[in-house]
Amino acid sequence: MESIFSELGRSGPAGLLLRAILASLLGIILLVGFIVVRRWYRARYFHRRNQRTVALRAQWNDIVSGKLPPQDWRFDPLDCDIVQNILLDNIEMADQENLPPLLDCLRMSGLLDTLIYEARTARSWKQRRSLLALGRTRAKEAIPALAAGLDSGLAETRIAAVRALGRTTVVEAAIPILDRIVAGHLDAPERSLKNALTNCCRSHPEVLVRYLDQTQGPVRELLTRVLAELASPELGEELLVLAADALPEVRASAARALANTDAPYTLPALHSLATDCEWFVRLRAVVALGQVQDAGKIRILLRSLCDTNRHVRQRAAWALARMEPQLQHILEEVVATNDDYALQAFISELERSGAMEKITGALEGSGEYSAQTSLRDIVEGARKSVELSGKAASAAAGAR
Amino acid sequence: MLYFLAISNDTLFIYYLLSNIIYLGLLIVAISRNVRHHHRRGSFRLELIKASPFTPPITIIVPAHNEERSIISSVGALLGLDYPSLEVIVVNDGSSDNTMQELQEAYGLRMARMLYIADIATAPVRAIYRSSLESRLFVLDKTAAGCKADAVNAGINAASSPYVCVVDADSILEKESLIRIMTGVFSDPARVVAVGGIVRVLNGSRVVNNQIEQVHLPKQTIEIMQVIEYLRAFLVGREGWATFNMLPIISGAFGIFRTDLVKQVGGFRTHAVGEDLDLVVRMHRRLQEEHHSYHINFIADPTCWTEVPTDLKSLARQRARWHKGLIDTLWSNRDMLFRARYGRVGWFVLPYLWLFECLAPVVEGVGYTTIILAALLGVLSKAFFLQFLLFGYAFATLISIGSVLLEEMTARRYGDWREVTRLLVCCLLEHFPYRLMTMVWRLQGLGEYLRGDLQWGAIKRVGISANS
Repeated sequence: MESIFSELGRSGPAGLLLRAILASLLGIILLVGFIVVRRWYRARYFHRRNQRTVALRAQWNDIVSGKLPPQDWRFDPLDCDIVQNILLDNIEMADQENLPPLLDCLRMSGLLDTLIYEARTARSWKQRRSLLALGRTRAKEAIPALAAGLDSGLAETRIAAVRALGRTTVVEAAIPILDRIVAGHLDAPERSLKNALTNCCRSHPEVLVRYLDQTQGPVRELLTRVLAELASPELGEELLVLAADALPEVRASAARALANTDAPYTLPALHSLATDCEWFVRLRAVVALGQVQDAGKIRILLRSLCDTNRHVRQRAAWALARMEPQLQHILEEVVATNDDYALQAFISELERSGAMEKITGALEGSGEYSAQTSLRDIVEGARKSVELSGKAASAAAGAR
Repeated sequence: MLYFLAISNDTLFIYYLLSNIIYLGLLIVAISRNVRHHHRRGSFRLELIKASPFTPPITIIVPAHNEERSIISSVGALLGLDYPSLEVIVVNDGSSDNTMQELQEAYGLRMARMLYIADIATAPVRAIYRSSLESRLFVLDKTAAGCKADAVNAGINAASSPYVCVVDADSILEKESLIRIMTGVFSDPARVVAVGGIVRVLNGSRVVNNQIEQVHLPKQTIEIMQVIEYLRAFLVGREGWATFNMLPIISGAFGIFRTDLVKQVGGFRTHAVGEDLDLVVRMHRRLQEEHHSYHINFIADPTCWTEVPTDLKSLARQRARWHKGLIDTLWSNRDMLFRARYGRVGWFVLPYLWLFECLAPVVEGVGYTTIILAALLGVLSKAFFLQFLLFGYAFATLISIGSVLLEEMTARRYGDWREVTRLLVCCLLEHFPYRLMTMVWRLQGLGEYLRGDLQWGAIKRVGISANS
């Protein structure tokens, strides 16, 4: 038998070219044909789907209550897909009162079992699709199948399982994730893990605290970051322990969490964190102080206004500049610090928040010579100084 | 002479064949990547990303030079984007019109005496303003440096978010585009340093309040040709290269970058003609030199709509400028070629850009001339000559139709049968004379670059308001 090369050699470049042309033309015809057929098929499919959706919607109450037997729609793939999608959408939006009949429908029709079976046995995107659908059901019996997805060798399947567990929004779903994280057996993006844990532990953040005792390093940081989002006053003592943790990231998260507690221990704890040796812990504490409704924070913030780190100073100034009724008093205190950087930061924030006019207006109304006029001169001097430093920075940038 | 003609013709044939085979390969890869992305997209719920406290903030940087007609609607649309934590920095790059006054009036700007640290050197910043009506808006007023890159760099210096998104003032981002583009980061935040979205042709579509309401194909054939070109470049080229982590460019009109990395590489190179290509190549360089494991991603769902030239003169200027930008970047990074330390970027994508993009107009120009000469001198059989033309035409049309197929599989923006038919017909007509004209414009760009003419050149635009 002749080789293809000898045949090509005999037919020469012209023969090769002719074949290339024919192949290209055939490709064009196939592609155009595919586009046309695909469009036609999709139009037909969606037309039919819309018709069936309308028909099934008309019988929706009967489907959910079971008056219309599942056999009537369950074995038609299109009908089954439509009902499943509507059910899952309704379950996601349902409150505790409306959820049970929807879940019953899912169970009685066998849809839930099918999804569990697919999540366990299917592969690739089909498995991932089933996992996500199963997560949307919020059914507790789905959790073991979802947990099995966490052990998949495929990263995308593991991520899908983490997301699905997060979507159940029940605390039981957090347990398989936490068990695996603590044991170091779960490799998934940090953001997906944090989102899933936040969703699952929203009503029971104390579950995270139990696991915190067994963790260290990045896992401990991850868990405290989630805890910071969910913290409630009931976690008080636990947060105080975290505020004294050896890991700076954990202390920063504790500061963030303390902002949500509003308890007697909040201010002293934040005071301690605002003098931490790590600048970002101090920054977090100052941000949290900005959220706390307690006039006692002024003293701490004034101290942070003189911090060595400019981010901390700026954030302290931001918090102080928003304490409207006490602004004049705060301004006097800031001037009394004799710290030009602190004064500049505060004046900048007053300008930014739009409170500067009110302050200067109040100072303008005073007599010929008083403590207020002296304060006004200081403020004007500081404003000019800020303006000059801004120009100097711009000029320096230009020179570079 | 005859021997030279024969060699030249063979070279052109092989060159054309190779170029199209590479593009065919990219098309196949892009189709498979799109199918995978389609399945993956199902697992993302945009509203959950929006609600998550862990979604990182983004700073949008809008360089504006004499944009008084569109700046208010553009900024309004950007502030209306669906993203939980957003900061918009408009950089007024020494506008001589009323851009600054328009912003002042619409957003009640007040000077913010903020500390501005110029990590990247730029022309002096005159002042920083903050809106009293919209806390997320900042305006940097700076002296003009004569290039967009400098304005963007000033914006990057002022950005406070871990990611920056650079957007042209005359482009329109779809409402969910930021969340969609960030899904490219969320897939692997530790490795993904930049993500590009797709840029589509705005001409012909209906725009209401700076948002696309109805997508239509433009009326003029020259604009439809550009629609096909954009589809081919983004859906086939960028999708294909991104699969192998060799994406050489993220469009200057829409892309997100990790702020710290952009600062580390010195920001956009001022006076680079193709500053977007240049930045991405320098990012590759730096990350490869430091042996980082990284990924520069492309996602086809997040969409930015931009206006394309409607007249030949502007189009010629734009294409010449793009070609100058390409040569400029390739020349300044020529030391990366075939160097092991730059990995696949140095071994594959840069040689490809040199051979099949930068030198394409030269090879094609010389090739066409010699083919015609050979045909006239009787060295080339007329049948072979016609067959060669037909082959080139058929293969290139195949790729163009492939990009329309990808459009159908991904976004399906042109829903009307008539519009798809027009698109397909234009795929058949694209190669004569549009491709030849493009070749000439690129040759012009090459000539201008060799003469040292690196000017951008003005491009006539109809304006977004004309599409409203």
